[in-house]
Amino acid sequence: MVVMWMFMILVWRVLSRVLRRYGRWALMVPVAAMGAAVFGLNVWTAATVLLALLLAVLLALVLVGWRQAGTSGLLPVTMLGAGICGLWAAASMARSWATAGFSVWNAFTVVVPRPIPPTGFGSPGPAKLRAASQSAAKLPAVTAAPGRFVTFARSGPPWRVVTGRIPRAVVRPHVVILGHSLWWGRLLILGSLLLLALGLWLSPRALADLRALIRRVAPRLEGWRREGNWGILLVPVTCFGLTIFGVRPWTVAAIVAAIIITIRWPRLAADLVPLVLVVFAVYGFMLVSRWVPGPRMLATPQPTWFGAIQVDSSQTSLLAGVEASALLAFGAWLFPRTVGAHARARATTGHEVELAGRVQRLTETRDHALDAAAAELRRIERDLHDGAQTRLVALGMNLRALERMLPASPEAARALATEAIETSARALSELRLLVRGIYPPVLADRGLSHAVRALALDTALPVELDVDLPGRLTAPVESACYFAVAEALANAVKHSGARRVHIRIEHADGLLRIEVADDGTGGADPARGTGLRGVERRLGTFDGILAVSSPPGGPTMIAMEVPCRLLSPKTSSCFGTG
Amino acid sequence: MQVVVAEDLFLLRDGLTRLLSAHGFQIAAAVDTAPGLLRALLEHRPDVAVVDVRMPPGFGDDGLQAALEARRQVPGLPVLLLSQYVEQLYAREMLADQMGGVGYLLKDRVFTDEQFVDAIRTVAAGGTVLDPEVVTKLVGRRSRNGPIARLSGREREVLELMAEGRSNTAIAQQLFVTEKAVSKHTTSIFAKLGLAACQDDNRRVLAVLAYLNS
Repeated sequence: MVVMWMFMILVWRVLSRVLRRYGRWALMVPVAAMGAAVFGLNVWTAATVLLALLLAVLLALVLVGWRQAGTSGLLPVTMLGAGICGLWAAASMARSWATAGFSVWNAFTVVVPRPIPPTGFGSPGPAKLRAASQSAAKLPAVTAAPGRFVTFARSGPPWRVVTGRIPRAVVRPHVVILGHSLWWGRLLILGSLLLLALGLWLSPRALADLRALIRRVAPRLEGWRREGNWGILLVPVTCFGLTIFGVRPWTVAAIVAAIIITIRWPRLAADLVPLVLVVFAVYGFMLVSRWVPGPRMLATPQPTWFGAIQVDSSQTSLLAGVEASALLAFGAWLFPRTVGAHARARATTGHEVELAGRVQRLTETRDHALDAAAAELRRIERDLHDGAQTRLVALGMNLRALERMLPASPEAARALATEAIETSARALSELRLLVRGIYPPVLADRGLSHAVRALALDTALPVELDVDLPGRLTAPVESACYFAVAEALANAVKHSGARRVHIRIEHADGLLRIEVADDGTGGADPARGTGLRGVERRLGTFDGILAVSSPPGGPTMIAMEVPCRLLSPKTSSCFGTG
Repeated sequence: MQVVVAEDLFLLRDGLTRLLSAHGFQIAAAVDTAPGLLRALLEHRPDVAVVDVRMPPGFGDDGLQAALEARRQVPGLPVLLLSQYVEQLYAREMLADQMGGVGYLLKDRVFTDEQFVDAIRTVAAGGTVLDPEVVTKLVGRRSRNGPIARLSGREREVLELMAEGRSNTAIAQQLFVTEKAVSKHTTSIFAKLGLAACQDDNRRVLAVLAYLNS
């Protein structure tokens, strides 16, 4: 007894350590093993043990999140079940022992005429049975003939000892093994009680885990419900196919596939439901058409099942038609709620992708614009610093010197004054250039069309203008377009060797289109020169684009498009020209 | 000689009126807005107006527009435009009515007051004075087909100076030739540009226009 208690304590300690280390799921393996002990070692108990092992490993390694839920729900149920089974087995054994004891005391021997042939994997071999019979023979007053085997039947009146030929089906060899050792019996009872206790201990925890799982999964389920998850219908709808096609490998496979699709791709499942419904409906109508009386109905068709109706006459075929119509109607009703809704959702997703691209483009162009603005400011600062500012300093110095010189040498003072005037003129001229580079005055005064006209006048090449711009544009767009045209013109003059240039500007449907074409030698490439690249960037700030067509040998055509709106109708004079 | 001065910057307006007074001009009015200019021009009908291109209320080419409008109502009203920059486009618009009495100068030219006053007098007399910068730009352009291409090098030089508003005497001095030679060149220019020998001054304006339009 002490040994037994020590053994139990040892088992418990090992168990508790394993539990702490690996979680409650680790109990699955011994529980499954116990099942194997109870039901004998055969194919399915071995498979259960393997499955438990596999599950245990999987749960431990992969599905960590589902670990508790998966095991805690499974374990207590298994344990309680195994415990009850064990107790029941023990009880039946106890009855067997009682009978055995009774029979022993009455010197009643159960004699089985010949050994039970091995019945497979789980059946004990004759050697074991022999051992069992020997242990039975040790019992007092048992007169067991050597070579004879003792067994108990579990079916029929339990304590009836069966002699003679026993039908194999009712023999439970393991009961024989266990039943012949009181120790085994006690162990079975103890194990069962242990299992029951463990199961009871785990149950409330399992419930808590289950609640936690539900809490975790609930939002997902809620989302499912809100989305109108029609995908759940795929499995019953596919099962409808069973009524038509019968249980065949492929129909079963279809149902399994439906289950997998429903779980894995609920959206696809929802899309499939109306399609499958329509297919069945069409099949139904075909079925009906076969039963329509008339010359085309050659022979009486085979009666077939369609859903709940067995189609075996024109009347029942009409019922099937009604059913098919219902299927079709349901499919049609589902269509906008599944396929349509998903298409809309996909369109929305496309819109989002477009927006994301737009955001990226805006970010890029904004960076370019900021860089360009900073570079422009630096250039202006440098120009002012090196140009006008320096000249004004020189002017001031000259004037100061002039003031000192005036009484002493008027002639030298006059020369200095001339120099000062020249300096101021140069400073002014530089400022003019600078201002022109920042924002050309004509552009400020009159807008793009006039500024381009002025630009054309200042160009050394003959420039044909074709401007249709019935109003002003916003200042940044005007400026960007002006400098774009200026750059294109400058390129035409400097590089192309063109004889004439044609500029076309028009505004239609919120799009400003500018074309600068020359009859030069071509070969302009925005990737090489910084000028056109800069123009492209500057236009990009307004979502504008630049396209260059300049094959070697010419001609060159530079096209620009900028989405923009006209500010106002053109007013060439504030006094009215009419 | 009656002058209307239109300039929105007080310092410059003040300087201009003083300069012109010092040279014997009578200041009929000194205004600082475009509508004010138009009113003053129509009211005083001055011998010449000195007008800043950029003025209130629009701070665009309001001064130019006011001057053009005044010339539409008073044909040939002499106007000298002053600006921080010169644009051929504006010069063309001023000359478009072919009436003469038009000047277009950079404000820098005020520094050399004798030249400036000469320019005012030329404009008042119905002549055309274009800033050398406008003329330089014209020279910078390539010669092309048209009447101007038929001019000789010397004739073109004479035309350039004519456009700047120089008289034959001044041109002769500038080119170191006799006045007679200059007048021979001008006659040749008018002939080549197909300008009939009627009013000499008007022909000079038309020649300059032809030059601009080339």
